[in-house]
Amino acid sequence: MNGLWKPLAPVLACCGLLLAWQFASLGLKNDSFPTALDSLRAIPPILTDKESLINILASLRRMAIGFALALAFSIPLGLLMGRSRSTAAFFNPLLMLIYPVPKAALMPIIMLWLGVGDVSKTLVIFLGVSLPVIYHSFEGAKAVEEKMLWSGAAMGLSPPERLLRIVLPAALPEILTGCRTGLVLALITMVTSEMIARQSGAGNILFNALDMGQYDTVFAMIIIIGAMGICLDAAFEIVRRWLVRWSEPQFDMPLSFS
Amino acid sequence: MGVTPIRPGQLAGVPLGRRAATPIIEIDHVSQVFKTSSRRDHTALSDISLTVGEGAFVSILGPSGCGKSTLLYIVGGFVSPTSGTAKMKGKPITGPGTDRGPVFQEFALFPWKSVLGNVMYGPLQQGMKPAKAAALARTLLAMVGLTGFEKFYPKELSGGMKQRVALARTLAYGPEVLLMDEPFGALDAHTRTRLQNDLLDIWERDRKTVLFVTHSVEEAVFLSDKVVMMSRSPGRIREVIDIDLPRPRRRDELLLDPRYQKYIVEIERMFDASGDNELPS
Ligand SMILES: Nc1ncnc2c1ncn2[C@@H]1O[C@H](COP(=O)(O)OP(=O)(O)OP(=O)(O)O)[C@@H](O)[C@H]1O
Ligand SMILES: [Mg+2]
Repeated sequence: MNGLWKPLAPVLACCGLLLAWQFASLGLKNDSFPTALDSLRAIPPILTDKESLINILASLRRMAIGFALALAFSIPLGLLMGRSRSTAAFFNPLLMLIYPVPKAALMPIIMLWLGVGDVSKTLVIFLGVSLPVIYHSFEGAKAVEEKMLWSGAAMGLSPPERLLRIVLPAALPEILTGCRTGLVLALITMVTSEMIARQSGAGNILFNALDMGQYDTVFAMIIIIGAMGICLDAAFEIVRRWLVRWSEPQFDMPLSFS
Repeated sequence: MGVTPIRPGQLAGVPLGRRAATPIIEIDHVSQVFKTSSRRDHTALSDISLTVGEGAFVSILGPSGCGKSTLLYIVGGFVSPTSGTAKMKGKPITGPGTDRGPVFQEFALFPWKSVLGNVMYGPLQQGMKPAKAAALARTLLAMVGLTGFEKFYPKELSGGMKQRVALARTLAYGPEVLLMDEPFGALDAHTRTRLQNDLLDIWERDRKTVLFVTHSVEEAVFLSDKVVMMSRSPGRIREVIDIDLPRPRRRDELLLDPRYQKYIVEIERMFDASGDNELPS
């Protein structure tokens, strides 16, 4: 029973949601709230339209570049901050200032300086992803057991080698937790940036459709973006589990009550 | 130094004097004061002086919290003393080095490496070919009784198994001096005896110097040339006792040896008399 139930559960949850949507929309009879069926029917035309596909791919490309750059910058910085007091003392106040600012709120200024093109949007994604990754890398590096570093030192590892070959792997579970949060934030900032700088992208399709009152397309896009998020997150989770398989005992489902 | 009797089928015990000929570690008036979180000074070691001869097996005995680990960290170069100096082969110790191999009380294995990967780590770092390092690691793992566990990760091992991996990992890169912090603390009596014998074999064969922290009087007497007794008042050396027993030592023979028993009783009495043997209050 349990074995059969587990893979089916998320599918059933989705079906339940769609059913509820369908009935709610039928009941409300509101123009701006199309039925689930209509919205689902609007998906294939989007995905077969060359223009839309180019837009969506452009979004994904910006997101990938912003995300990758953010990791390349934030992980080393976070690890350094975690192991060096002076680095932490220097960067902590800066980060505390940037932290509460919604990154999308910076978009107008960035657009003013860098235009409405890829650079601005990628930069916003970069900023959105950086903070959680820096924070988790920092915490992970700080928590590395000192005796492990001492063992490395006794084996002849230099300080930079220790950072790369002991602090990085030891902090990896924590770093990847930050990356997972970062990935979701990348998707959010991606859509937000396209909402503000309307020029191309998945967010652009969505808001153009909204302007033109094509509500089924709006909802179809929401489903597409949501599905992208779920797929990316699931794929990342597979990679993450594989990378830290040495870490904690595996829980199949943290929320299961079995 | 008394003359050690020669028993049939056994060489004369190695005289201590020869082993202790050249000093390899010199600890000179070392004190260690920690600043606690409540900003008070806490003396962990006060005015420790100790010389360890090349090739000697020296045990450090003392109640919990008397500064045994701290002393090892200073010799390892992981902690620099508040005052005084520690020297290795005449040179002041300024940091860790591959000539001194620690086995930590907390194991400190690399959790992302398999058992084999942990033991190979040091040799690989020193530029050994992977195949050769793996072979060496397997030999050492066999010695500590962990054949068949090569692919396990540290999280999948028991405390005693981790302890044995830590020992093999340190032995693998061949440090001249072993700094062992209660390395057999988590082992059952049988495994413990076996590893004690293996350690003595390695020590004899490779002419290593061992600084060995333990809580067990019996273990200290069995293994050592010298037993350093520390007390928590705070962190001082109370007494240094030369253990003048023949080598190679065998537990079954020693258990019948009145001299062996006398050392044990003597040391235990000293601890009892000081009333310093209890857990920290
Ligand atoms: N980083 C530190 N900060 C403050 N005090 C410390 C620190 N490290 C050790 N101490 C103190 O120094 C004393 C000696 O500690 P140490 O770990 O050397 O004891 P030990 O003899 O190894 O004890 P055990 O047998 O329990 O391992 C203790 O009283 C401890 O509280
Ligand atoms: Mg200790």
